[in-house]
Amino acid sequence: MNHLANIIQKELKELLTPGAIMSVVVMVVLFSILGGLIGGEVDKAQTLPSIGVVGSGHGDLTIEDGGVDWNLYETLESIYGSSIPSDAEVGDYLIKLDDFDGDFDRLKDMMSQNDLACALIVPDDFALCISEGRPATLTQFYIYEPEGMFGSISSTVVTSIASMLNTSLSKELLMGPTEGNPLFYSNPIAFGGDNDCTMINGEVHNGILPSDIAGEISSQTMIIPIVIMILITMIGSLVISSIGSEKENKTLETLLTLPIKRTTIVTGKIIAAAVVGIIYGVAYMIGMGMYMGSLTGTMGSGVNLEDLGLSLDAFDYLLVMVSLFLSISCALGLCMILGGFAKNYKSAQTMTMPLSILAMIPMFIIMFSGWYGAGPFIQGIVFAIPFSHPMMAMEALMYGDVGLVLSGIAYMMVFAVATIAITVKLYNSDILITGLNQNRTYQKLTGKK
Amino acid sequence: MTDALVLKDVRKSYGNTEAVHGISLTVKEGEIFGLIGHNGAGKTTTLRMISTLLRITSGSISVYGHDVETDSKGVREIISYLPEDAGAYKDLTGRAYLDFIARFFADGDERKRMVEKGIALADLGERIDSKVDTYSKGMMRRLLIARAVMPSPKLAIMDEVTSGLDVVNAYEIREIIRGIARDGVTVIMSSHNMFEVDMLCDRVGIINHGDLIGLGTPDELKREYGVDTLEEVFVKAVKG
Ligand SMILES: Nc1ncnc2c1ncn2[C@@H]1O[C@H](COP(=O)(O)OP(=O)(O)OP(=O)(O)O)[C@@H](O)[C@H]1O
Ligand SMILES: [Mg+2]
Repeated sequence: MNHLANIIQKELKELLTPGAIMSVVVMVVLFSILGGLIGGEVDKAQTLPSIGVVGSGHGDLTIEDGGVDWNLYETLESIYGSSIPSDAEVGDYLIKLDDFDGDFDRLKDMMSQNDLACALIVPDDFALCISEGRPATLTQFYIYEPEGMFGSISSTVVTSIASMLNTSLSKELLMGPTEGNPLFYSNPIAFGGDNDCTMINGEVHNGILPSDIAGEISSQTMIIPIVIMILITMIGSLVISSIGSEKENKTLETLLTLPIKRTTIVTGKIIAAAVVGIIYGVAYMIGMGMYMGSLTGTMGSGVNLEDLGLSLDAFDYLLVMVSLFLSISCALGLCMILGGFAKNYKSAQTMTMPLSILAMIPMFIIMFSGWYGAGPFIQGIVFAIPFSHPMMAMEALMYGDVGLVLSGIAYMMVFAVATIAITVKLYNSDILITGLNQNRTYQKLTGKK
Repeated sequence: MTDALVLKDVRKSYGNTEAVHGISLTVKEGEIFGLIGHNGAGKTTTLRMISTLLRITSGSISVYGHDVETDSKGVREIISYLPEDAGAYKDLTGRAYLDFIARFFADGDERKRMVEKGIALADLGERIDSKVDTYSKGMMRRLLIARAVMPSPKLAIMDEVTSGLDVVNAYEIREIIRGIARDGVTVIMSSHNMFEVDMLCDRVGIINHGDLIGLGTPDELKREYGVDTLEEVFVKAVKG
């Protein structure tokens, strides 16, 4: 037993290094921040969306002889009144807009002025239809805003609001005299289907809701952050372990005294790892493509992104590849630096920790709130981590956000050059041979002697 | 004879502790120079500075006129460093390892000749085609010495080459060193084996806690301390 305790003690001492404990702490902090972030997203998605109510009478309906006295706008007010937070006012959520004259661009401008993403269009003949016993059509109009996983929920909420309006009017009508088609009395308001439309990049598409698009895009891009995280971590540990084992076997000392430039050694290692990385990457992409192919076959929302102008063209794919390549280069540069501090193979394993954490932060953020759903502070963090860019490149390009991808590429170029410069500097110094403990600045920083 | 290696007041600090306190010495071309000293005396540190692996804190080192600080590339082209307890890439066979190294020095037929020379020096028989991680300590050392000697360096730097080897292996490695010195290669080596240093080295430097406290041929040192063996010289020098 004593012997066992002895061995356990030794192992624990080796495993629970300050570095390892640090990374656990970072993980906990990371998850709690993400929890808050995702919680915020869920709250936002569950609150009722602000909508503009478009139409001359805003759904005023009085049928003298039938005794019907119903108003769409007031019904909406009562639906909202019971669901919004106590300190909010219904007027913040429901905004009356002018008539709709068929000009979606004008409607869009009106909505933008009021910061609205959704409008319910009450047709001019609403009252007429109902009085004649024909279903009146209520149209949902959206301006599509990409907002991560939860951003699309508002459109499903609006659909259910439309359904509540229908039920309310049905009840009202059933209290009066009923004649003619009984179906009309259970469904006086027609909603959903091809009437509803969404404006995407300035073009109006019928029969498509933002939730459909977001669903399709996220089903196509959801797995990318995970793949890239795995890829970065894997290539990273490849490089770090390679340096770690060179140190352990003292082959590094030999290599460094051969008549070759340090830059050659550094670049050689980086290129070799990048080749392996690209092989992994391609294999993953193919695997992922097949996985997504079989998934969308069964689960797809039926939205064709190509028709919506949201699919990628050859130039977009080129940008994605460039982004991925640069991101891998940044990872390798970082790993060469981290590997420089690894004493042996084992400590090299711990050195991959910071890298995987760096890759995990954007992965979680992008998966759960998306770049577009995150606040400016979080966006800053995500942008600063070079591995984020290929994770979100495809989604951004589907939304036509080329600027984000290009600025990411520019940033990664600077980052990669900087890391490689630092690496070469490191390889010209003692640290590679002596380790960090003997470095004077390090000693000063840690107060060790 | 020209000066192959000149150390002038060389110092090395690791952080705040100074490991080498101003060593000066000169090694002539074709000479075998031995560094002796207790564990932690500063031998490896000195050899690593000569090999351009460590930056010198102050002083200067020049190898055949190339300064290690300002012309480290020039130095690396003419030296061969064999680290203490060195290893080779485990996935390679002995032959593949020698070929890997030879590629940094030569091309085509010249490279082939270099590898053949290495294989002959290592003298591992058919085991040259086994993976390096199946080698015993002695086999590994033979491979590494072959690697170090094969490119015909002008200065060979060897840190405890024979430590832990059996009598025959140690003898054969000493023969190799003697052979290259005869061909004009300068050798600087460290060792804890006084018998070996006495037999092999033309001149010896004794390092004690980072100071060079004795320098001369084995015979000069023995005369200086009035003793019969280098071992006694060492003990007297360190204790007194
Ligand atoms: N990386 C390092 N960081 C801090 N101190 C070091 C480092 N390497 C060596 N030293 C110190 O420098 C001194 C000289 O070490 P060195 O390895 O040169 O001794 P040596 O003569 O080769 O010893 P040995 O015979 O045991 O190999 C020792 O006190 C050692 O602790
Ligand atoms: Mg030593």
